[in-house]
Amino acid sequence: MEEFRKELKKIEDFSKSYSVGRKNIILNRHYFVPQTIKETLGILSEYGRDIKILAGGTDLLVQYYDQLYEVGSWLDLRNIEELREVKIHKKYMVIGAMATHTQLEISEEIQKYFPVLSQAAADIGSPQIRNRGTIGGNIVNASPAGDLLPPLMAYQAQFKLVSAKKEMLIPAEEFFLGPKKTILKSNQLLTQIILPLPTKKTYGSWIKIGKRKALIIATITLALVVKMDENDEVIEDVSVCLGSVAPTPVEIKEIKEKIIGKNFKKLDFNLLGQIVEDKISPIDDIRGTKEYRKDVAREIMINALEEVELSSRRAVK
Amino acid sequence: MSNILIEFTINGKKRRMQTTPSTRLLDLIRDDLHLTGTKEGCGKGECGACTVIMNGELVASCLVLAPQADGAALTTIEGISNGEELHPIQEAFIETGAVQCGFCIPGMILAAKKILEKNFHPDEEEIKRGISGNICRCTGYQKIFDAIKLAGNKLSALNSGKVGKDE
Repeated sequence: MEEFRKELKKIEDFSKSYSVGRKNIILNRHYFVPQTIKETLGILSEYGRDIKILAGGTDLLVQYYDQLYEVGSWLDLRNIEELREVKIHKKYMVIGAMATHTQLEISEEIQKYFPVLSQAAADIGSPQIRNRGTIGGNIVNASPAGDLLPPLMAYQAQFKLVSAKKEMLIPAEEFFLGPKKTILKSNQLLTQIILPLPTKKTYGSWIKIGKRKALIIATITLALVVKMDENDEVIEDVSVCLGSVAPTPVEIKEIKEKIIGKNFKKLDFNLLGQIVEDKISPIDDIRGTKEYRKDVAREIMINALEEVELSSRRAVK
Repeated sequence: MSNILIEFTINGKKRRMQTTPSTRLLDLIRDDLHLTGTKEGCGKGECGACTVIMNGELVASCLVLAPQADGAALTTIEGISNGEELHPIQEAFIETGAVQCGFCIPGMILAAKKILEKNFHPDEEEIKRGISGNICRCTGYQKIFDAIKLAGNKLSALNSGKVGKDE
């Protein structure tokens, strides 16, 4: 008990030190509202293990439905303006972790350079969910069905993880360890998502399969990104990533050698669909059976290839 | 759990309230402010009955913690009429018979408001997308679509009337 009191006192003093000189900031030992990343990291290094980081709350508050009182402390990121910025640089785009799905959906730059990401964001939940839910939350929550994850992997996103002591860039494919499990440590914050700008001749397709259009956790998703040469003749690079078919979002790398260096006319779409079907490891759950997901994976791979081929052909005309 | 003092504007009125970190905005609105037009359906953001407008955006108030609303401007269904005078969207819902049990209607009307703020004459797809976060189990939606279209016409007429007067 004595120790507990000491701990409380420590937290209170700590809170006070952060609230000095600011108006309208609610801060006590159960609810932190830092103004800067630096303050956030200070709070995390002190209380990281016992604190819940609150971004949009659209996953977290569902997870803690009926047991909100069990959460000891909240760290609310809403006042950190820089975490909401979406900025384009010469060679890459930086998306703040607190950018909402609505922001991703309506940003003209994201629509232009990363249409698959923008479409995936537009397919999430409902207006109410998209207005609150964030890209950072979608990543950190690490649901196998997280809608933004396959597009982020397909566009070779890197995640900036920052702690009080250091920061690092992690490729999306190294970030996810399993359902709801990532390499993020309790003293780290995901601050930015960095996407290399694709060439002009890059095309993509996004397919989400679920039982209804709105407010559905995906049964299966697929993001395909294809980079063509200048003349839209030869495929220079390709990435196909799927969600809800494995413990983490996955890239099917086996298709690369069958596609890169070729023209669309030379591709056997059925064979490529079959490879995707063979390489995924879905489970039976309430949203669909293993067999269903395998069948559908093959079909949506074929559909996505057809869509991308059409976009490329249109661009030539 | 310790209390937290928050300040916000709701339906045009400034309020200071004591709340806790485990109170949802929905509970603050219904239990503390007694604005019971906002409903709780699923409590998980899937039905839209708890929809309110927060800082100009449609949100599910069951997925917002009360302290997150500190400094926010909120509008609930109680705030959209002008005293006793109904909002044109409310009139349109009544005139088309778009209300049956009524449980979804507060959220539905706020979602309709956001659709019509962008466009007085939305097509069916825009309406569907705009109310995709609001479930109605009675109407089958057709009369709700009709009501939103009618409301758009009313607002459009009112708006052009205003422009006329200003000139």
